[in-house]
Amino acid sequence: MAALDGIIQGFAVVLTIKGLAFCFVGVLLGTLVGVLPGIGPAAAISLLLPTTFRTDPASSMIMLAGLYYGVMYGGSTTSILVNIPGEAASVVTCFDGYQMARQGRAGPALGIAALGSFFAGTVGVVGLMFLAPLLASFALLFGAPEYFSLMVMSMTLVTYLSRGSQLKALMMAALGLILGSIGLDAVTAKPRFTYDILVLRDGIGIVPVVMGLFGISEILQNVGATMDREILKSKITHLLPTRKDWQDSAMPIARGSLLGFFLGVLPGLGPVIATFLSYGMEKRLSKHPEKFGTGAIEGVAGPEACNNAVASGNFVPMLSLGIPANAVMAMLLGALAIYGIQPGPLLIKEHPQVFWGLIASMYVGNVMLLILNLPLIPLWVQVLKIPYGILYPVILLFCLIGSYSLNNNIGDVIIMWFFGVFGFLMKKFQFEPAPLVLALVLGPMLEDNLRQSLIISQGNFSIFINRPLSVAFLVVSLSALLFPLLKLRPRLRETTE
Amino acid sequence: MITTDRWTGLFFILFSLYVCFESSRLGVGTFFRPAAGFFPFYSSLLLGLLSLILGFLAFRGKVERAESWTDVGNTVTVSLALLGFALLLTWLGFAITTFLFILFLLRAVERRAWLLSASAALFISAAFYVVFGLWLKAQLPAGILGR
Repeated sequence: MAALDGIIQGFAVVLTIKGLAFCFVGVLLGTLVGVLPGIGPAAAISLLLPTTFRTDPASSMIMLAGLYYGVMYGGSTTSILVNIPGEAASVVTCFDGYQMARQGRAGPALGIAALGSFFAGTVGVVGLMFLAPLLASFALLFGAPEYFSLMVMSMTLVTYLSRGSQLKALMMAALGLILGSIGLDAVTAKPRFTYDILVLRDGIGIVPVVMGLFGISEILQNVGATMDREILKSKITHLLPTRKDWQDSAMPIARGSLLGFFLGVLPGLGPVIATFLSYGMEKRLSKHPEKFGTGAIEGVAGPEACNNAVASGNFVPMLSLGIPANAVMAMLLGALAIYGIQPGPLLIKEHPQVFWGLIASMYVGNVMLLILNLPLIPLWVQVLKIPYGILYPVILLFCLIGSYSLNNNIGDVIIMWFFGVFGFLMKKFQFEPAPLVLALVLGPMLEDNLRQSLIISQGNFSIFINRPLSVAFLVVSLSALLFPLLKLRPRLRETTE
Repeated sequence: MITTDRWTGLFFILFSLYVCFESSRLGVGTFFRPAAGFFPFYSSLLLGLLSLILGFLAFRGKVERAESWTDVGNTVTVSLALLGFALLLTWLGFAITTFLFILFLLRAVERRAWLLSASAALFISAAFYVVFGLWLKAQLPAGILGR
């Protein structure tokens, strides 16, 4: 019943002109970002963040969250129409979505993607509504050692599930921890690695780092490459899927929704891996696996539902434990910290309007996206026709203004530039940025909890293995580190072959 | 493993040694009383160890050729333009810096015609000034125009 009271309270926050307007702007911008290749949700949230400082936290979070799940809707449009995923979570949609479009079935592909996303988004929000408070009350039992082990588990899982080398992902996590320690030491107030540079005294901000690693570096990579975009010229008709399409898609949508939500709850899993798993699962369960890759609607329905459910699932550990599941959630965690809100078990009690407002907004946002998405497809097709050569200077300008407006300080722009170049080099040398971002956010919390635990135990590390929950988290971490040595790490490419 | 892992491994080993040294100057403390340098010291130790493994595997194991470095001319130009924007913003002000930045990208990188580049730069910088400076009231530096 508490959940029901809460959600009513949430609707009271969102069903106001202000709440609806922020939700609308969030999902609309999210869809636009999803449509545009070269800018993902993490960079987009970091761009929008400075504009939210003058409003209340609940409205800001409603808009930023709307942007995240809006991206999942928009990303499918480019995958289906242009064969270029607007963002990474829609890569899988290209396989069958684009083939459907080539066969003149772009309408049903877009339709099933939108309807499947709507269904999954709703399932995800219901799950979030019930699971987050449950997990939060459980997390109240956590002490410093449990939190330390939980964060270690999150980081090792991120490296375990990374697409490239796990060793390199671990290196990036360690680098993130070092970068996270820049600034004044929380206990002794001693400046660490600041070299008398004022902007470093408060630590390296997450926003310019994310803008650099995910926004600038993407553009730096794309300006060197030629981008061929063959946009579908035929008119898109019959957006509503046929009866047969529905029959083929119903179960993949249901499975994708459940799989996506539960994978989204796990720390370290973003939508990309989940969509690959969903596609692999549908292919295995299908009576006609040979049709996958040639325009099978199941190959669009399952992954599209899945990526939206993941987006909802990702909010569970972030809101209830204060542990971000991926770089986007790390960004939202940073946003909450800027608003002066500590995410974690007490969030629901201390800021119910933020928590329940956010959940209620997701119901409203999903309806808005469904209504918006289908009629706006012709507009998105026009947006795709803007040449990349004109588009990227504008995106760069957004990044530059966004980073400057954080503190009206040129130092943040330089940090963004540095991480943009660093991110470009990381891509060239095949290092992944997500573990670095996660460790940068978790680093200071990890350090606090480690130091507290050691002070409690008088320097004895057995405190981490004498407590059952802590040891359980550490066993999972250890397994994530040892599995690759035993060649038990899942290979994403094989799933799709 | 790729060929460049040898050099990135070596780079991160040197970087971690530097951080270890700097952390020990801050004071590492003991396990019972961790000091300011405690956490960065052990984090860099971890990074150093992992980099050592990477370098070792890349030198000893089977490696693939790394991605080629051709076509990075535009990347270098754009990144220098970004740095130029950051360095000139306070002095020249938002309006002029934005105009020059867009003009440079369209003309030098995208090789568009002068007239098109200049008019697009003028339009984009004016639009950004109206939206961010006048409407959202972001405190954009006026630079030499404000004197």
